Amino acid sequence: MNKLKLNYTSLSFLPILVCIPLGYQLINNIHFGGFKLFQEFLISAFNPKIDNEIIITVIKRLNETILIGFFSWLVSIIFGAIFGIISSNIFYKIFNIPNFFYRILRFFLTIIRSIHEVVWGILLMQIYGINFSIGIIAICIPYIAVNSKVFAEQLETIDYKSFESINQINAPKFSSLITLIWNPIINTFKNFGLYRLECSIRSTVILGIFGIGGIGTSIFLSFQTLNFRELWTYLWSLAILIILSGLIFKKIKFNTTNKILSIFFISVFFITTLFSFSYFLYFIFNNNFENFNSVSSLFKSSSDLGLFDFLKLILETIILSLLSTGIAISLPPLVIGIFNNNTSKIFIKIFAFLLRLIPTPVILLTLLTFNNPSVSLAALTLGLHNAGITSKLLFTNLDSQDKRNYIAMKSLGISKKTSWLLGLFSQQAKSYLAYCAYRSDIIIRETAIVGVIGSVGLGWQLQESLSSFAWQEVTLVLIAYSSIAIFGELINGKIKNGLT
Amino acid sequence: MNNTVLELENISYKYKNDLILNKINLKINSGEKIALLGKSGSGKTTLISVLNGTIKPTQGKVKLFNESFEELDRKQKSKITTIWQDLRLIEDLSAEQNVNCGLLAENNFYFAFKNLLNISSFKKAHKYMKLCRLHNSIYDKKIIKLSGGQKQRVAIARSLIQESNILLADEPFNNLDPKLITTIKNLLLENVDKNKTKKSPKTALVALHRLDLLNDFDKVIGIRDGKIFFNIKRNNLKKIHLEKIY
Repeated sequence: MNKLKLNYTSLSFLPILVCIPLGYQLINNIHFGGFKLFQEFLISAFNPKIDNEIIITVIKRLNETILIGFFSWLVSIIFGAIFGIISSNIFYKIFNIPNFFYRILRFFLTIIRSIHEVVWGILLMQIYGINFSIGIIAICIPYIAVNSKVFAEQLETIDYKSFESINQINAPKFSSLITLIWNPIINTFKNFGLYRLECSIRSTVILGIFGIGGIGTSIFLSFQTLNFRELWTYLWSLAILIILSGLIFKKIKFNTTNKILSIFFISVFFITTLFSFSYFLYFIFNNNFENFNSVSSLFKSSSDLGLFDFLKLILETIILSLLSTGIAISLPPLVIGIFNNNTSKIFIKIFAFLLRLIPTPVILLTLLTFNNPSVSLAALTLGLHNAGITSKLLFTNLDSQDKRNYIAMKSLGISKKTSWLLGLFSQQAKSYLAYCAYRSDIIIRETAIVGVIGSVGLGWQLQESLSSFAWQEVTLVLIAYSSIAIFGELINGKIKNGLT
Repeated sequence: MNNTVLELENISYKYKNDLILNKINLKINSGEKIALLGKSGSGKTTLISVLNGTIKPTQGKVKLFNESFEELDRKQKSKITTIWQDLRLIEDLSAEQNVNCGLLAENNFYFAFKNLLNISSFKKAHKYMKLCRLHNSIYDKKIIKLSGGQKQRVAIARSLIQESNILLADEPFNNLDPKLITTIKNLLLENVDKNKTKKSPKTALVALHRLDLLNDFDKVIGIRDGKIFFNIKRNNLKKIHLEKIY
């Protein structure tokens, strides 16, 4: 018998097998108490509440969301670029700095980004209380580390020979550095900037759900009061905001040869850097640290969390990550492949957009209307939300791909679905899997959000420990989170390297 | 008087388990034009990389103006310019920005920044691009959009703009038609001053494959398996020498 050989195409579909245990648990947990609510939720999407009062609230809440989202994006992209440069190998080669420092900085950034912005937000809110700038800081901390990774990875694609040739000219080191990194930095900003802005807005919304303000808070309050029509008004206005910001971003031409634009961008860079730094100092020296005393009790406080329970929570978090990743990888190609016609594509795109738009806590709360809380339900939520993101990437890549193979296969009489699979998707499978490896890093971090809402894993424990100021437990949970995320990132890094 | 500008003392270079250069001793005197011959993989490119300081030899010493290469400062090292076989241009930058990169050594950070924003002066770059017979329609084109011959001449212009005393070139005539080869050969082997009025000798070591271009060189070095097989005056070159290395 021939040996089973897996290729990139089959590997893209294989993770859908997670649906077997997931489906089994979901069917067992089904309840019929909330079907009416669910139905009402769906119908309200087509009949959002529109009156003067809500429009004023929407504008006010959107303003807050835009302010937090935009400033956290701006600060995190600028500092992300700075940290990206100083954590890239090209910097260390040019300045002849020992690699030891490079490894320490990278490790430090890995720890920072392994903790989700919601966790940072909850933690900072506990220490400093609810305040506008906490939202920006909570998003900025992990985002700077995430962006720095993106920038550093792009800088590492600089041809080593270009480095050698510039180095051989014997220019001042800063001149060599700027000449080599300028365009990769600008290109990364062009390619990832909009996506990161979308992420910032989404994170602001999620932090809003946890009380930081903005439209997220209104979404959550509407859901709690079961005012679905109002909820959909907020969701649609959020959709308009995301679409508009995308259109504006695409309209701006980042032409570095335009002198006025260049001077404008450089001014924004320096003003933001200076302002952020000054604000950071102000925040450090002018804050009321009374609450912070509770952190000093870290080593005094005892933990009621047993080892067995703690290990169970870790295992739950890992299972949650694996199940969600399976759905996020395999669901998009499966659905696009099965419903492979133009009308279906439009519906899939709209559905994927909604999955990206609706914050995961709201998706989870909606699903809770007909299913009991479980790891599977949390995994389904996280998986669906991330499938919305991976499907966007898959659609973009498939739309821009050369279709000659697909057409040739169809002309041979091969069915449309098979032609799509072998003539179109198979060419994308490798890069798609590489992106999914990166996405799974984010999924591990996001388990915190669904954990808090869905009574699952370490996320739930974190919320519990924070509420009772059990700082030793908080530290334990954060260490466990970081370890899982770092371990996951190491494995995914290996997978990604193998794929690229 | 000792007029040695570059000197290799017992140079060996090992990459993994392969000995790429094997105990090489070489002196290059001021004003000498040397052709470096050898088949592909013989160690020509590695030798050039050792001479310009890109590669540190496993053993031996490189001296520039009788001083150890490692002890020299940036300004002194910039007296060597290199044309790489694979050009090593920055693909994202335009042709004129790439040529201006040759001026980075004699300018400060502000110049590098202006060059990237396209607001620096390209007067000098244009002069050398013109000398290399590059048409002004390609000056602001990105490298990625240029033909092989155009890229080759941009790399040559970037090297010439440095106005260095010593030229190291690794097969600089690739991708060029016969007429351009003559022009570029004259440019490389004769020092071009700012006003293009005075031409003075320049020290040059040029790796070559084409034997018909040897006439303009004073000396010929033959290299095989990382060893120098002959280092003779061009007039003494005989078929037997070439048989040793090819």
